Amino acid sequence: MTNQSGHKRTTAIQPTWCPGCGNFGILGALKQTLDKLKLEPHQFSLVYDVGCSSNMADFVYSYGFHGLHGRTLPVAAGIKLANHKLPVIAIIGDGGCFGEGLTHLVTLARGNHDILVISHDNYLYSLTTGQMSPTTKKGTKTPSTPDGSIEEAYNPIASALINHATFVARGFAGDIPHLANLIEQGLNHQGFALLDVLQPCVTYNKEMTYDWYRKNIYDLQKQNHQPSDKKAALAKALETEKLPVGLFFQKQKPAYHQQIPNFSDTPLAHQDISNIDISSLL
Amino acid sequence: MTSFNWKIAGAAGEGIKKAGLIFAKTCFKHGLSVHGYTEYPSLIRGGHNTFQIHASSEDIFSPSFKLDLLVGLHEKSSQLHQDEITDKTITLYDNLPLAKLVKQAGGTPQMKNMVALGASCFLLGLSLDKLNQTLAEIFAKKGQEIVQANHQVSQAGYDYAQKNFKAKAKQPIPLKPEGKNKIFITGNQALSYGAIAGGMKLYAAYPMTPATSILHTLAAKAKPANIIVRHAEDEIGTANMAIGAGFAGVRSMVATSGGGFSLMTEALGLSGITETPLVIVNAMRPGPASGMPTWSSQGDLLYAIHASQDEFPRIVITPGDPQECFQLSKLAQNLAEKYQLPIIILTDKYLGESYFTIDKPQPKHQNQRYGLADTKNLANDQPFKRYQDTNTGVSPRSLPGQSGGVHLCNSYEHDELGYATELAEERTKQVNKRAKKTSQILKDPDFVNPILYGPKNSQQTLISWGSNKGIILEAIKELKNTNFIHFPIVWPFPSHKFEQLTQNSKKLITLECNSTGQLNQLIQQQTCLKIENQILKYDGRPFFPEEIVEKLTSH
Repeated sequence: MTNQSGHKRTTAIQPTWCPGCGNFGILGALKQTLDKLKLEPHQFSLVYDVGCSSNMADFVYSYGFHGLHGRTLPVAAGIKLANHKLPVIAIIGDGGCFGEGLTHLVTLARGNHDILVISHDNYLYSLTTGQMSPTTKKGTKTPSTPDGSIEEAYNPIASALINHATFVARGFAGDIPHLANLIEQGLNHQGFALLDVLQPCVTYNKEMTYDWYRKNIYDLQKQNHQPSDKKAALAKALETEKLPVGLFFQKQKPAYHQQIPNFSDTPLAHQDISNIDISSLL
Repeated sequence: MTSFNWKIAGAAGEGIKKAGLIFAKTCFKHGLSVHGYTEYPSLIRGGHNTFQIHASSEDIFSPSFKLDLLVGLHEKSSQLHQDEITDKTITLYDNLPLAKLVKQAGGTPQMKNMVALGASCFLLGLSLDKLNQTLAEIFAKKGQEIVQANHQVSQAGYDYAQKNFKAKAKQPIPLKPEGKNKIFITGNQALSYGAIAGGMKLYAAYPMTPATSILHTLAAKAKPANIIVRHAEDEIGTANMAIGAGFAGVRSMVATSGGGFSLMTEALGLSGITETPLVIVNAMRPGPASGMPTWSSQGDLLYAIHASQDEFPRIVITPGDPQECFQLSKLAQNLAEKYQLPIIILTDKYLGESYFTIDKPQPKHQNQRYGLADTKNLANDQPFKRYQDTNTGVSPRSLPGQSGGVHLCNSYEHDELGYATELAEERTKQVNKRAKKTSQILKDPDFVNPILYGPKNSQQTLISWGSNKGIILEAIKELKNTNFIHFPIVWPFPSHKFEQLTQNSKKLITLECNSTGQLNQLIQQQTCLKIENQILKYDGRPFFPEEIVEKLTSH
């Protein structure tokens, strides 16, 4: 199953997502970006959390690690420290990223670990049949909150901004060219990149459809937003009536591995361990 | 007399550990075999701290209970250590006017412990020069003035003891030049250096007593050792990060105590099913939950063997002393890669934080890489069979970045290519494939079988694992007709070798620091051998040789 770039991107396994699922759009945009950047399947690693989004693991032809629910970001950071020459992309849902694994997200953002996190944000736990997620709007009725959810929704963009992520963007699964462009920018960014992707769940969220999103989002870059301005980015992040999409914030800063004293250009994974002399340590 | 047993006791924050270490190093400079054991509460200020030194002209492996000299800086010291005092014990409490002597010698109040060390040197027949050399080394960074003041203070203590306690002084034990091939080291330090020798390149940890000094040791040596040390967000993060590094081809390690190990349990299973090398150190302390953070325990043996849902092969290593900490930590790095599985190294507070005199480890270490596939001639558009069924259960492994080796490493049950499967046949095949590793490990020439110490045939055989080793070796010096079997690796259980070693034994006795006899249970489960006699201790303290001798001779 090769495409115009000549590189095989998919496996023989047919995606198991519901027809119309936002994950198709995100996968499409990802493939487009990989083609554009001419990354061969062995030249990068994807890391997957657990959930509908992360079932992508079986469909993409590349090096991949399908980890535990909420725990995939430290796996991604570990791969990057082991081999900093490899681009590392984490595929994760809103539950794993902002719920079970939030500590990892915040800490890796603060450390500016050089990974691209694509959070498939459908405002629900869909693989477990549609319970509320951290981003679910307060008052939403779901099977686990039949009287409406009590918690206020988590704000991924604002949280990433105040926790020192150096690339913060929001995309929409229904606009593949726009999303592919954000993925490309995120991959080219050196440091921690969070790309939150608004994604309809056609099965469990009948209100937030593709049409609903199209009516309720607007493009930041068409409003002359300056991504170097963190305060402006934060103000945009706090808008919840109409949802801005595009690049909120970007800052150039050395990545975690670049700040380690004496960090060797030879990746740890390629360093020779056949002869080790410990005499200077004792 | 060939040994002495010295202790300093006082409030937390009074520099007890520092004073103990200075005195221990002084003893080491006299060519003695030195063992240092410290007790302290989980506090920064207040509470009662002790550091005790058992030093001998011959090799010694453990602390000793009855004291030759007790320095008590704390008013409660005499009460708290009543059981350790005999009519021959020299006690230095108020009879040594620390504050006054410090002042007269021109020192600062923080130096009062050095008066006690000076006095101790006189009373035990040690050289004040050697104490002063140690002080010069320890305080070198603080400048000549501080070193000089410490020397004056230690001299004042020495002189005061000579003038006032001459009659109490002990007969000096035989001294030697400092052993150049010996090193004074904790279990945690030895384990850290062993991991480096074994090619560990990434260490991730979240502080937890009594594993924290591994983090401190490795962080301090990260630059010269050319490794990365990361203090991560939590134990879940450390274990998953180490697995990510392992997937990318880097040998890695994490260390914690029981609580952190509990948090790592899901990642332990992740290492198991993804067949990614992972070394976890669990430095045990009494539990459950927060338990007694600064005390010792062997309560996690069966937990380490069974932690995580479902079944997969693993290795549980139980070093008995710093020599084994070094050797087995290095081995763990190699075996984790060779068998692509998780390895748990069980130590405890006693072994991790006590000081031992051992032979210096060899400086140069060779490591082989295991199971890495050469894929450059394979097509880059076909997934690599990462989980290929093989005779040994170990499949060739390719690393991200490598052409021809593209694959998915999967926490879901998977087929040979790594893609998720729920087919009955594939599931059974992968479980069986993983399980094959266990018999391979037991056959591995590097596997360390149980070791018999003492006479081949004895009236009674003691059986234990982990840190009791040195204490039991001390005890059997005193016990007649007794030998000892130590397990450096408990899992996979080496039934065959164990049965060989015990086939002529007359009476077997297990010793463990837990309340239910976990090794004893395991032996019965694995060999159908029911051992009726067991000695258990679970008060947070290690065994002392004397109490083992007493228990076995009073029967």
